Amino acid sequence: MEGIIKCPSRVGEPPRLLGNRCSSCGRVFFPKRTLCPNCFTDDTLTEVELSSKGTIYTYTIVHYPSPAGIEAPYAYGYVDLPENNIRVFSLFTESDPKKLEIGMDVGLVIEKIRIDKDGTEILGYKFKPV
Amino acid sequence: MNEAYVIGVGMTEFGRHPERSLTDMGREACWRALKDAGMHPKQIQAGFSGNSLAPYLQKEVDIGQPILREVGIVGVPIMNMSNACASGSCAFREAWLAVASGLYELVIAIGTEKAFMGKGTMLDVGGQDFQLMQGGVFPGDFALRARRHMLEFGTTKEQLAKVSVKNHKNGCLNPYSQFKKGFTVEEVLNSPMVADPLTVLSCCPNSDGSAAAIIASKDLSKRYCEKPIKIAASALRSGTYDPNRNLAVFDLDIEASKIAYEMSGYGPEDIEVAEVHDAFTIAEIMHYEGLGFCKPGEGGCLIDGGETKIGGRIPVNPSGGLLSRGHPVGATGLAQIAEIVWQLRGEAGKRQVENARIGLAHVAGGGREGDIGATTVHILARD
Repeated sequence: MEGIIKCPSRVGEPPRLLGNRCSSCGRVFFPKRTLCPNCFTDDTLTEVELSSKGTIYTYTIVHYPSPAGIEAPYAYGYVDLPENNIRVFSLFTESDPKKLEIGMDVGLVIEKIRIDKDGTEILGYKFKPV
Repeated sequence: MNEAYVIGVGMTEFGRHPERSLTDMGREACWRALKDAGMHPKQIQAGFSGNSLAPYLQKEVDIGQPILREVGIVGVPIMNMSNACASGSCAFREAWLAVASGLYELVIAIGTEKAFMGKGTMLDVGGQDFQLMQGGVFPGDFALRARRHMLEFGTTKEQLAKVSVKNHKNGCLNPYSQFKKGFTVEEVLNSPMVADPLTVLSCCPNSDGSAAAIIASKDLSKRYCEKPIKIAASALRSGTYDPNRNLAVFDLDIEASKIAYEMSGYGPEDIEVAEVHDAFTIAEIMHYEGLGFCKPGEGGCLIDGGETKIGGRIPVNPSGGLLSRGHPVGATGLAQIAEIVWQLRGEAGKRQVENARIGLAHVAGGGREGDIGATTVHILARD
């Protein structure tokens, strides 16, 4: 998750997702891209911190373990970040259908997201209902 | 572009064939298609072979040459094609293009896959893909679309389940089908949950099987074939991956079918039988809308009204579709072509759509970032 998340350096600060923005067309990308696919120009992308607050666009709860090493049940979906006009893919902290709803406000957290094939616990980002 | 025709089709029974190799299944499909066309293998001028998962599941690559060698198609140009679930339909498209361009007069397209997995097994392909490494799975991605469709258009779980009921009922009438068993709406809804709201019986299986088609120029087809079926259109579109697009709509269906309708001169109202990519129940409902069989958002009403059953206004997946016939990934596109050809020739037995003259085959293959990778639409017509 290096280059994808910025961990808070002070207590009380939220973590941030790191995307990039094209200085030519203004589009924001997450995860980052190495060139802007809309502009035929080099060196237009600069890193931006994305908003840590969003709303659930859609979600599902998966009842079988993921091949990536995530125990079932787990929930994932897309979160709209209105400040950045971008929709991002994310796991959710909750897997109880009663605690998730389209349009719900969610905030970014850093958590264990999966266990690697060699048993290493991998940290990543999730969104949590506010 | 020259006119091209399908003059022969053949396939294996789909399902679980642990004792059979890719080459063995491919040989059977090719042999049947050649016999159906009444052509000698030595007359075939080029071959196009679709497969998606053999490099991952069997550690085999370039399986087209060994398959075609079995039936004596050697020396001529042979191409291996991979485009996820659209591998077979893209092999068919390339075969069409080879004849339509005037380069060849007689070619074969084949799709073969050995991908049987127990229901509920998640396909573990895609390497280090960003979403895959965070739990993204195929049934989940379609569940995300289902939730949006339910919210935006009021589509219900019962409507989704009815797709599975219809296709399993059709599959009982198809000797090539993996599942020859019917289910009720309650059984579909109460089967184990895979990715909410999609249950096990809302998801297609991964299967073993092969299917093939022989494509010929107009001259050749009229000379050798009693019932040649014209390829009236072939369209292929790839994903755009706009992160902010509406997940309750299949953009690629709209784009690919628009091209196919324009190319053929037919509209959605002219289609009398269709095979569409029902990998998940929600997908079939959304494909009704994307292909123009009903207005956006009315897919649920179409299944409710029985309009897509055999005998309805626009029968969809009379073969049983992916849900019941099974889904050997790279073979599905050509199994659809075989089904439409049988339907248009009036040879579909108990699942025959009465007097069907114009048919459509649709595949939505693979994907990244929540978009489909490759969507093909083919329109076939009886002269």
